[in-house]
Amino acid sequence: MPSYLCGLDIGGTFTDCVLMDDSGRLTISKAPSTPGNFADGVLEALRRAGERVGLELPALLGSITMLAHGTTAGTNAIIQRKGAKVGLITTRGHNDVIHIMRGSRGLSGQDIKLIVHIPESSKPEPIIPKRLIRGVSERVDCFGKVVVALNEDEVRSAILSLVDAGIEALAVCFLWSFLAPEHEARVKAIAAEIAPQLYVTCSHELAPKWGEYERTTAVALNAYIGPLTVNYVTNLDRRLKEMGYKPPLQITQCAGGTIAVRTARDAPLLTLDSGPVSGVTGSLYLGKVMNEPNIITTDMGGTSFDVGVIHDGQAMVSYKSLVHQYEYFLPKVDVQTMGTGGGSKVWIDKTTGTLRVGPQSAGAMPGPICYRRGGEVPTTTDADVVLGYLDADNFAGGTMSLDREGAARGLQALADELGMDLYELASGVAQIAEFQMADLVRKATIQKGLDPRDFVLFAFGGAGPVHMAVTAREAGIKRVVVPQGDTASTWCAFGAASADTLHVNEQVRIMSSPFDVASINTVLAELAAKGRAQLEEDGVPAAQQTYRCSIDMRHRGQINEVEVEIDKDQIAETDLDDLRARFVRRYEQLYGRGASLPGARLECVTFRARASALSRKPSLIAATELTDEIPAGAKTSERSIYWAEWKKAAPSPIYNGYALLPGNVIDGPCVIETTTTSIVIHPGQRVAVDALRNFVIDTDVTASA
Amino acid sequence: MPRISEITGVDFDGVNHPYVPPKELRISPKLKLHRDWDQNVDPITYEVVRHNLWQINEEHGATIQRLSGSPVAMYALDLNPSLLTEDAEFVYFGPYMQYMSGVTDTQVKWTLENRSDNPGIKDGDMFLANDPWVGAAHQQDVMLLCPVFWEGELFCWVTNCLHQYDIGGITPGSFCPSAESAYDEGIMLPPIKIIEDGEIRRDIEAVYLRASRKPQLVALDFRAQMAGNTTAKKRVLELIQRYGASTVKGVMKKIIDNSEKSFLEKMARIPDGFWQDRTYIEACRPGDRRTHKVQLQLRKEGNKLLFTNDGTADQEGAMNATYSGWRGAIMVAVTELLCWDQYFAVGGALRHVDFDPVPGTLNCANFPASVSTAPIQSMEISLYPAYNVLSKMIYPDAEMRKDIMCIGGTSQWPATLFRGTDQWGERYGYLLIDPIGGAIGAFSHADGINTGGQSRTPICQLPNIEHTEQSFPILFLYRKELPDSGGAGKYRGGLSAESCFIPHNTDVITQDTLSSGNATPTSTGMMGGYPSTTNAYTFLRDSDILTRMADSQMVEDISEVSGTDEMLQLRQENFLQHKSDVYAVRWTGGGGFGDPMDRAMEDINEDLEHYAITAEAAGSIYGVVVGADGKLDEAASIARRAELRAARVARGGRKTATLEGPVLCEASVNLNARQHSDGAHWACAKCACDLGHVSHNYKDGCLREDHPVADSNPLIGDPSRFIDDDVCFRQFFCPGCGAQIDNEIAVTRDEVLADIHVNVG
Repeated sequence: MPSYLCGLDIGGTFTDCVLMDDSGRLTISKAPSTPGNFADGVLEALRRAGERVGLELPALLGSITMLAHGTTAGTNAIIQRKGAKVGLITTRGHNDVIHIMRGSRGLSGQDIKLIVHIPESSKPEPIIPKRLIRGVSERVDCFGKVVVALNEDEVRSAILSLVDAGIEALAVCFLWSFLAPEHEARVKAIAAEIAPQLYVTCSHELAPKWGEYERTTAVALNAYIGPLTVNYVTNLDRRLKEMGYKPPLQITQCAGGTIAVRTARDAPLLTLDSGPVSGVTGSLYLGKVMNEPNIITTDMGGTSFDVGVIHDGQAMVSYKSLVHQYEYFLPKVDVQTMGTGGGSKVWIDKTTGTLRVGPQSAGAMPGPICYRRGGEVPTTTDADVVLGYLDADNFAGGTMSLDREGAARGLQALADELGMDLYELASGVAQIAEFQMADLVRKATIQKGLDPRDFVLFAFGGAGPVHMAVTAREAGIKRVVVPQGDTASTWCAFGAASADTLHVNEQVRIMSSPFDVASINTVLAELAAKGRAQLEEDGVPAAQQTYRCSIDMRHRGQINEVEVEIDKDQIAETDLDDLRARFVRRYEQLYGRGASLPGARLECVTFRARASALSRKPSLIAATELTDEIPAGAKTSERSIYWAEWKKAAPSPIYNGYALLPGNVIDGPCVIETTTTSIVIHPGQRVAVDALRNFVIDTDVTASA
Repeated sequence: MPRISEITGVDFDGVNHPYVPPKELRISPKLKLHRDWDQNVDPITYEVVRHNLWQINEEHGATIQRLSGSPVAMYALDLNPSLLTEDAEFVYFGPYMQYMSGVTDTQVKWTLENRSDNPGIKDGDMFLANDPWVGAAHQQDVMLLCPVFWEGELFCWVTNCLHQYDIGGITPGSFCPSAESAYDEGIMLPPIKIIEDGEIRRDIEAVYLRASRKPQLVALDFRAQMAGNTTAKKRVLELIQRYGASTVKGVMKKIIDNSEKSFLEKMARIPDGFWQDRTYIEACRPGDRRTHKVQLQLRKEGNKLLFTNDGTADQEGAMNATYSGWRGAIMVAVTELLCWDQYFAVGGALRHVDFDPVPGTLNCANFPASVSTAPIQSMEISLYPAYNVLSKMIYPDAEMRKDIMCIGGTSQWPATLFRGTDQWGERYGYLLIDPIGGAIGAFSHADGINTGGQSRTPICQLPNIEHTEQSFPILFLYRKELPDSGGAGKYRGGLSAESCFIPHNTDVITQDTLSSGNATPTSTGMMGGYPSTTNAYTFLRDSDILTRMADSQMVEDISEVSGTDEMLQLRQENFLQHKSDVYAVRWTGGGGFGDPMDRAMEDINEDLEHYAITAEAAGSIYGVVVGADGKLDEAASIARRAELRAARVARGGRKTATLEGPVLCEASVNLNARQHSDGAHWACAKCACDLGHVSHNYKDGCLREDHPVADSNPLIGDPSRFIDDDVCFRQFFCPGCGAQIDNEIAVTRDEVLADIHVNVG
């Protein structure tokens, strides 16, 4: 009997399932998502996948060796504001930490319009209202010393009054608790005693990091989505087990791996935004297969454009995230996003008579004019159909026809206003969107001290392959990969299937140079032991366990920290010079040569260990034969497409993406169509089908590689 | 006293008098300017290049942020990058410290006029500059100006400004509260070529660093500034290579032209008129117990705006700002209220804005006045009235009305300057940065934003308490938002906060205060809105806090601690805080908008629910009745508000004349101008009661009542603790219906302010 790896991803509309057998063969299924009880949709997608491989659901579940699953239960709870009623216990006098929000509106890096136009902005609705926050007497200082003992009477009455007020979850965060966790632990114990049914989350367990605002936000959010997420994963886990699935269910997490159900119950926050992250994980795997260590992953959908960066075979991670203007601590694969998508509205700034694209989006409803769902404002997609990039009569594999006339009418009105020709305008819309996205690609790399020219760009999402060849060219990127046909559209599920079990443990200990090796080693050993215990609990055999340690360091007196990787889990006195050298190297890579101050005192801040279990990986089937002969019938038609490079429309060949063979090479301009997207190759570009059936675009054939 | 435009025979050259750029710059023929640009850039290229230019400026700022070593600068984001044309018109400046770019163009213009001949402005040069008479806000704000050349011609400028931790002067940190002149303050550098042909001139750098107590930090920051300019310059050159110099320049000019066009369209939508505001600075030097009047006038005639400061007090002590500081402060408000939709491309608007202050005043000081405190005193006190006059100017337009912002929090900064030996055994000096958490004032359509920061720095963040405690030997007892700290109004001003701390892991801290706005509220309301709390220092000596800590009985407010209350003055120097001395610092909140008695009942209920106001304030200021359950009794509240209004009319004498003519202009939320037989008359917006001819002050047609200033906000105390002047809260009521039309905070001897005059009818 074959065994399978299985990845599942719940989207807004569909739940995707990817099965991969021992030989690498992929089976894909989709079922409608079932909001309210997502487990139903998950089981239905599995049932359909089982049908395709000829197995009843219980038999299929019995033959799956790993089932990895991304859940949106937490994300939805936040978007719909349907989380739990949460109470917070904190250090007396510091009740307002998450209301003060460090005196900001939480908008840095967000929509510039909200930043500059203050009357349009506001703080987000509080996750926990002031009436559900209780300060209790206790205090720890910067040395981790208890300077005020915990007043347990106050703790008891705080818990009782919060329970009286009807809370469903309790968050606990004290100042400096990451140095001295005993007070938080004591509150948890007292809560277990007097309110055993309460979901309780403590900051020293979830995010033992330096900075009470981001730490409190983390526990508040964790408690907010806690009860819902716990219900969901517990329920799904139970139903899968009942139906025959035996190994531990794996839940994808935002740091880029998976966690067991048990961990997801304690730290549901880890599941937040894990969907886009799975796309990066999938790219990481495909990159390894393709021998590409440096990848910019892009996902352009209807409303947004997401960019992730993989450098040297590792996904770039950030340790502070943002949701609803709230910043919180949690290690997370860094996916930057902007509001340019197929649905971005095209408009004219009346005052200045200039053409603008986005950031407002027509979304899925009413959507672009050409979707015939009542949209009246032209969008990027409308420009795409007018230009001929998209086939109005055969969109989404023929399941939908687009209203080209409507789109043209909408854009023509704008063209008239600007005194431009329709095509000129539509092409301008595409270019503005493409160049804006190129700016984000640049920003995502340059801000990490990386040069986009050293990268290959992966294009996902329905709208991505239409525009990425130009976006990449503008960012100076030579090659674009559109991953193989069907897998691309279920990429996140594929990512889930290829993810490793991962625990990122962090601990803050602020130490200044000259460093005490023993202290450093103590922290590293604690972190390693914690990770080891977690993997053991996950049932991972010792041979499959791996560890990677790093320290966030900075110049003493400076704010900026950089993550310095260390390649061992204990260091010796003789390694200290190397540690400094690594810091300087990374610092200068990020901030420029000569930026580091020679001889300055250094500071270690956060210690981190990633404990992961290398899981079985999908194996992709590469073609053994390559051919430059394009099969007859692969070219399905010609249509008139406007090319900005030529400033005119020309009859251009259209290919069926499924008919092309590994080894085929086609010069632009042309369009390759699949059921989920159109790959647009401009004049001066070239596309090849590689051995894995990926489409690989050379974005500028005149430039040397 | 005469304004600049009325003075003859004085050279406004940036030496003894402020530099005021002439309309035509006098630039040496040795410097070739790139003056060729494409007038007809197509809309697509325009949008692509425009977006790129914005990104360049953003990348410029991000580079400095990553590299700067100074926590003070970084938490307060006390920096700003700019992009200017060859002749120093603003293309873009960043969303960081808004004061700074306002003083940038004057620096560049001065450099063009005074450095183009000798030593010359060449490719690869950068100029360091911090002379407040040339154009810095204060000496700590050091600018680095970088000319960008293309084919031998000066194409444009990229510049940045970054607040320095210490550049000398008699007080560590270079804010010098007791300075009597600029000679007591940090080093001053008129633009000086510090980078030549891409290389740092070590001799010049050594001069720059010599005066600083923290030369290493300053050196690190200088490199950050250099890297920022280098990055931006490189990106501009790449853009030129890609699109051509005349196209890129064409886009730059069009950005400015577009912002000008947008500005002109806005000007066309609002009536001409005259608006005025008044506020006060307290204590210009240790021991001073006077108020120093600050007045701002805005006159609009067609497309032209003219700002003046007639009636402002003389320069004195250590509270002053220079011309460029005053102008920069006003530009913040111009930018945020009128140019936000053009992404702060203020260059176009500036073509139509004139600044004509009176030299020798506290916000247009002549050399060698002390100006090191300018950004937290004179500039702040110049900025916030600018919000008021501009807001009143745009109110008549229903669309622009949505851009109105009342005065925000920290309208004067209650500085806590402290020093000593830290828990690591090192010497330190620090300015408590907490007041940057400010508050945003009310809008014309919504409440302000509680602890929403300072509007003049739209994206900054306070350090976490854990960060401050790690670096300095203090322990915070609390940092919390204060009920009633926001100004009352139909829309409430944002709440501000208070921080309270004791020394920890040290025996003693040496403290200085530096503040104003502790006696008279500086975050006044608008159009009937009430002021926020004042700043406040509370200092309890020999308290029982250590016993409380030992007993696990911590506090949420300094009033819970027992100790000897010591009244700190506003410039008290070198006082000691020992281990059991508890120190709380409160900063001003946001001003309110509109009459508090017009505030919706459900909003007041929300305020009570979320501790934004107290039940007492609900009764005394909002005029409502709070039941035993802590919720409003709506029927009783409606009746009470009616009674209160009727009582005002009864006290002042009812007038019955109402106006029937059409509304010509909605001058404020409470005040219309209506057509009448002898021209336009002021009318109550609620009952149309006649308030007199528009050529008169509408306040003269109102019933006036003067109250103690403490009545305007429950957190305001007795002004006589700090100043000898009497201050009052004047309210102006409609004699027809008793509604409040407006109010003002004034020193009793000052006449009623004529704040609104519109040319209609």
